[in-house]
Amino acid sequence: MRRTAILICLLLLPAVATRLFTAIYPFFNTVWLSFHDWNPAFPPQQFVGLKNFQALTRDIAVTSSISFTVLFVTVSTLLEIVLGMAIALMLNRAFFGRGAVRAVNLIPWAIPMVVAAIGFRWMYDTQYGVINDLLHRTIGVKVPWLVDFWGARAAVIATNVWKSTPFVGLVLLAALQGVPQDLYEAGRVDGTNRVSAFFYITLPLIMPQIVTIGLFMVVWQLAAFDLVFAMTGGGPGFATQLLAYRIYQVAFTALNFGYASAISMVLFIVVGIASIIGLLLFRKVEVSL
Amino acid sequence: MRLARAVDSALLAIAVFIFLFIVLFPFYWIVLSSFTPKYELFTIPPRYWFSTFTLENYQALANSIPLVRYFVNSLLFAAGSSLVSVAAAFLASYALARIQFHGANLIFIAFVISIALPQIGGLVPLFELFKSTNLINTYHGLVILMSSLVLPFTIWILVPFLRQIPYEIEEAAIMDGARLPQLFWFITLPIMRPALVTMFIINFIIAWNELIYPLVFATSGSNKTLSVGLVELAVQPTAGGGRPWDLLSAMSVVMIVPILVLVLLFQRLIVSGLTRGAIK
Repeated sequence: MRRTAILICLLLLPAVATRLFTAIYPFFNTVWLSFHDWNPAFPPQQFVGLKNFQALTRDIAVTSSISFTVLFVTVSTLLEIVLGMAIALMLNRAFFGRGAVRAVNLIPWAIPMVVAAIGFRWMYDTQYGVINDLLHRTIGVKVPWLVDFWGARAAVIATNVWKSTPFVGLVLLAALQGVPQDLYEAGRVDGTNRVSAFFYITLPLIMPQIVTIGLFMVVWQLAAFDLVFAMTGGGPGFATQLLAYRIYQVAFTALNFGYASAISMVLFIVVGIASIIGLLLFRKVEVSL
Repeated sequence: MRLARAVDSALLAIAVFIFLFIVLFPFYWIVLSSFTPKYELFTIPPRYWFSTFTLENYQALANSIPLVRYFVNSLLFAAGSSLVSVAAAFLASYALARIQFHGANLIFIAFVISIALPQIGGLVPLFELFKSTNLINTYHGLVILMSSLVLPFTIWILVPFLRQIPYEIEEAAIMDGARLPQLFWFITLPIMRPALVTMFIINFIIAWNELIYPLVFATSGSNKTLSVGLVELAVQPTAGGGRPWDLLSAMSVVMIVPILVLVLLFQRLIVSGLTRGAIK
């Protein structure tokens, strides 16, 4: 009995120790720091209570980054689910070269986000960019993508959707492959067409997986950083400042550790709310089956 | 009926074509730019085909940054992190999947929930911790950080995998007097090989693409990765306020090629690993 206990501890030690050291402790320390004033150049830390939180409600850079983050995550996730579903349905059909197309579908997930961000930044260039050239040739307009407030926001979200949708499609494809074929057979006997089969058979059956991947994408994209860091630098102005980017700026450019921790708390709370909503949705979906 | 089928196939073909165009065009554009002379990149309208094929962008890149050094750093960082994460996850998964003890499920759930902790939220305390323990700018410090980041996901995949393998073989070996190291080496590791290789490849790709940790914790040239080198090039304004697209496109190609090789070689494994977590 004793020996088993020691063995369990030894086996778990490397994994638990690294997580405690690099994730759990920093999380609690950030909570602690958010109630303090601390610039590493001018120690010591000073307890200031809720001062950081009061400051961030009045800080236009933070409030706009919160609203853009919510917008970015909501729009991205909805588009990824809808377009990912389309990709999954397409790749679930039998056609010549399907294996190769499925391999292509993996590529956007696999490449670095920084490469996608920089590549699209080049393509979105107002003067020399290929996207404006294609638009100019087809509908005769040029959009000042990355210098315009909403243009930059649209470009950032589009790039994110381009990068992440194929992964969602991959997961939903696996979900589709798990739907028993005889259900469709039974449906055909009852005279359902393809559209109603999708809405009455496929969709209810894979709803748990849709909610799961949706929740995963929401939580994951709330902490998105690489994209705006490499593509827009948060600009123009504060247009594309995501929360994670704002935290990085306040912490490592302004060296305002306490304030950065308070903004991190906002991020934690948003992630927490999103997770709870996701779990409630999931239970509802599970029960309805 | 026949007409309906023909329309259906045509629509499917069009959908596949649009999909391939949207996914592949940016790659075509980056590769094209990387082989186009600098002075021809800035033309209106842009050129859609190789007008002059050149390797000078790659030469200029190698001359302006320590490219080989960054490449080797990325490789060592990704390989080290994926090796350490898979090893630690294997040991933990064995305890969680094979030994019946009170709280095993709780520990497993704690690992899974910790996936949701945003990386950026712990950066300040981590930075201070690494400063006081002299881990900043060390290879092992970076590997600890990165392997920790992918550990929960790896455990999430490995535990169910191990649970679905019958315990009889291992039981028989223990009856025959095998000790734990022998058991792992001769029985458990071979049984789990597909899952371990899969997670090694996935974690390698994730670490190769990682920006935040190297950006904050690899501040000296000797440890910088390709991802850090790339964003440094991107945020440095050049003369005339433009961006060095010649160098950026070449460096993007250098970063993408190893990933493409992995995807083409291990497509099936990667897909199985990525979907196993989501499909339960």
